[in-house]
Amino acid sequence: MIGGRMSNESFITLFMIGVLVVLFGVSCVIVPRFYLPRNMINLLTNNWYIIMLGIGVTFLLITGNFDMSVGGVIAMTGVLSVWFCQDATASQNALAVGLGLPYGVAIALALLCAMGIGAINAFFIARLKVPSIIITLGTMMIARGVAQIVAQGAQRNTSLPDVFGVLGGLTIPGMSVKLSVLVMAVLIVAAFVFEKKTVAGRRTYLIGANSVAARLSGVNVRRHLTSLFIISSLLAGITGILLSSEFKAGGASRAMGYEFDALVISLLGGVSIAGGFGSVLGMFVGAVILSVVTSAATGLLLSPDWQFTIKGVVTFIAILAQRFALDKRKG
Amino acid sequence: MELTDNVLEIRDLVKDFPSVRAVNRVSFDIKRNTVHCLVGENGAGKSTLIKILTGATTRSGGSILLNGEAYTPHSTRDAKQHGISTLFQELNVVDQLTVEENLTLGMEDTTLGFLRKTDKINTMVNVMKSLEPSITPRQLVSTLSVAKKQIVEIAKAVATESDIIIMDEPTAAISESEIKRLFAIIKSLREKNVTVIYISHRLDEIFELGDYVTVMRDGKHIDTKPVSEIKDRSELVKMMIGKTVFEQYTPKEGECKDAILQVCNLSNHKLRDISFEVHEGEIIGFYGLVGAGKTELARAIYGVDPYEGEILFRGKKLPPFPDKVIAAGIALVPEERRSQGLFTILTIRGNVPVMNMRKISRNGFINAGQERKVTLDYIDKLRISTSSMEKEASKLSGGNQQKVVLAKCLFADADLLMLDEPTRGIDVGAKSEIYGIIRQLSKEGKSIMIFSSELPEVVNICDTIYLLYDGRMKATLRNGCDIDSEKILHIVTGGNVTSAADYRGSGDGGE
Repeated sequence: MIGGRMSNESFITLFMIGVLVVLFGVSCVIVPRFYLPRNMINLLTNNWYIIMLGIGVTFLLITGNFDMSVGGVIAMTGVLSVWFCQDATASQNALAVGLGLPYGVAIALALLCAMGIGAINAFFIARLKVPSIIITLGTMMIARGVAQIVAQGAQRNTSLPDVFGVLGGLTIPGMSVKLSVLVMAVLIVAAFVFEKKTVAGRRTYLIGANSVAARLSGVNVRRHLTSLFIISSLLAGITGILLSSEFKAGGASRAMGYEFDALVISLLGGVSIAGGFGSVLGMFVGAVILSVVTSAATGLLLSPDWQFTIKGVVTFIAILAQRFALDKRKG
Repeated sequence: MELTDNVLEIRDLVKDFPSVRAVNRVSFDIKRNTVHCLVGENGAGKSTLIKILTGATTRSGGSILLNGEAYTPHSTRDAKQHGISTLFQELNVVDQLTVEENLTLGMEDTTLGFLRKTDKINTMVNVMKSLEPSITPRQLVSTLSVAKKQIVEIAKAVATESDIIIMDEPTAAISESEIKRLFAIIKSLREKNVTVIYISHRLDEIFELGDYVTVMRDGKHIDTKPVSEIKDRSELVKMMIGKTVFEQYTPKEGECKDAILQVCNLSNHKLRDISFEVHEGEIIGFYGLVGAGKTELARAIYGVDPYEGEILFRGKKLPPFPDKVIAAGIALVPEERRSQGLFTILTIRGNVPVMNMRKISRNGFINAGQERKVTLDYIDKLRISTSSMEKEASKLSGGNQQKVVLAKCLFADADLLMLDEPTRGIDVGAKSEIYGIIRQLSKEGKSIMIFSSELPEVVNICDTIYLLYDGRMKATLRNGCDIDSEKILHIVTGGNVTSAADYRGSGDGGE
């Protein structure tokens, strides 16, 4: 009675790990120097910003909701964090004049604005029950629009305090790992614990599996969704801060299309858009798969123009294989 | 084609479901151009019979003659082509289209895929005008009342030359004056050579409208008679219930304990001025037919639907939020097991502890060992038959699914348990097990409220029974002394509460 089979989630995650191993093996054979440890580390870490977004996106997908606003939030937070701490003294160039706030205050305010986007999402989706795809597409454009206005369609990168570039440039002493990657790793572990071990994690699945039953079972669905939307925006905001610090600039067109990448890695990891099913670990594996494929394509000297097509085809095949495997198992 | 006197002849019709024979060798005729009423309690087999006639399901045996020819519909579309249209409770109109577009929906005349105005539209609009002149063809259907939407559907059925229109409780959701209008239209259909098969729980309607009535009970055909040959509604009621044998109910020993729940003058969109009390350890039944307001009452108490009036639990006002109501000590087993109670894609372990996560967690972190132990406990206690607690809930049988929902609510440690149709669609064995659990809980001092449309169920286990009709509380019965199923059925089908000595009528009594 006790034992039982592994859950469908574990099965899909293992299945995608298998796919990853096969893809990696093939790439090692056909792409020169693909097997080098240095490259392997790159594969795990060069997508850190998509993985950070993937955490929020995955949990929201599990509740049956989309968050398409995360890319826009990155751009907005990045541009705002620059603007807030740029020198306030007049200059010829309007893009060089900011509010002159201390850096700490600047990022705190920028993150608050990011959470504001999450709060707007939550208000319309959790309270007024508007479909999440509509609202978050709207806030995606609003956030990006704020970035466009403040950066005047270009980017802000002058008269910044020296401290601005520290966060994004920091590496962990002794390793060649960036602070951003470490943040990602910590967040992944935290998300994994949240998902598997906490009551709140469990409620996320209950809402996605049957939100009516969840409500009748005493889950405060509205409050839970609100928290998740705000957290997702906050994660995107942190990503925006780190990226703008790394580039020492806030650009209006930063992170264009990242919301789709975050969605793709979640789907690759087996998260169901119908809700109630999926895992953060799966999402991480999905991210690495995507990374292996794009990196192998680059290694094979395919022109970057092919990137989108290759991503598309891999996503297609992987998700079809996944559904097939799951049906087989159920059958 | 020579027409016979009977438009439909049903012979030895049988429908078997995995655990039950829903229609058992039913034979009767339906005469041409009459209003033929079909009555019976919930579960008598009316719906199944209708589903067979409309092609929504297939029969297991027997035969049907339509206009003297063998009739075996493969789909509702097929039935329609044979001239049988149905007015379901969930209407088949498209709100976003106009009346005109709805009338021709699915039968549009086209040229190369483009819509073409033809005489067909005019014919249909004329039929509709003759039924109800106040509806204009260009009106959006969403602007019509339920009754007028029904008329659009009737018009469509008449205009497409349906011989038979089946109406499944058409008056359940419409107002008094609209009912009169609908009845006038139904009567006028006879002149248009249409036979109406009319299903209703409101027996008075049958005397007003019907030419013939067929009574079904437990899947069997009891009788078919001209309505004029039936003396009064009590004769009809007798035919519907027959000799119902109730299991022995043993009255509770000891006197009433403290009131745990007090409901005063509760009203909302469905309920009218309902007041009652629940005492510790008491099992209370709410009995009424479909649409009487049972589910709405449970939902109001549970904080799901808004209401006016006062609900006190242990002397304190209940906050209208399910999570707070559960925290206060009330749990609900909802009416719709799969859509409201169960997380079908999760495992049994994922289902059982959800209403009381606090008990298996510390500081928000789940104790997996405790979670497994609790789940195993309930699998054991409620005898849920499964190979593993990691089995997906969707893969369990109906009875076992219901036990999982029950386990969920029991684990909530509630002092008051509300069970809405606790044994709907589950087999006899699981049923009696669930009754056993309910009795046991009551012995442990828990209070139980059962909302049911099965009379034997409430009579079997409840100490006190409240009768509901049309959102109103019609009578209160103490079990053990004054149970008379005939009178009960009389009341819950809309009859007047005649003798106050028999049944202490609450609320406003009769109409």
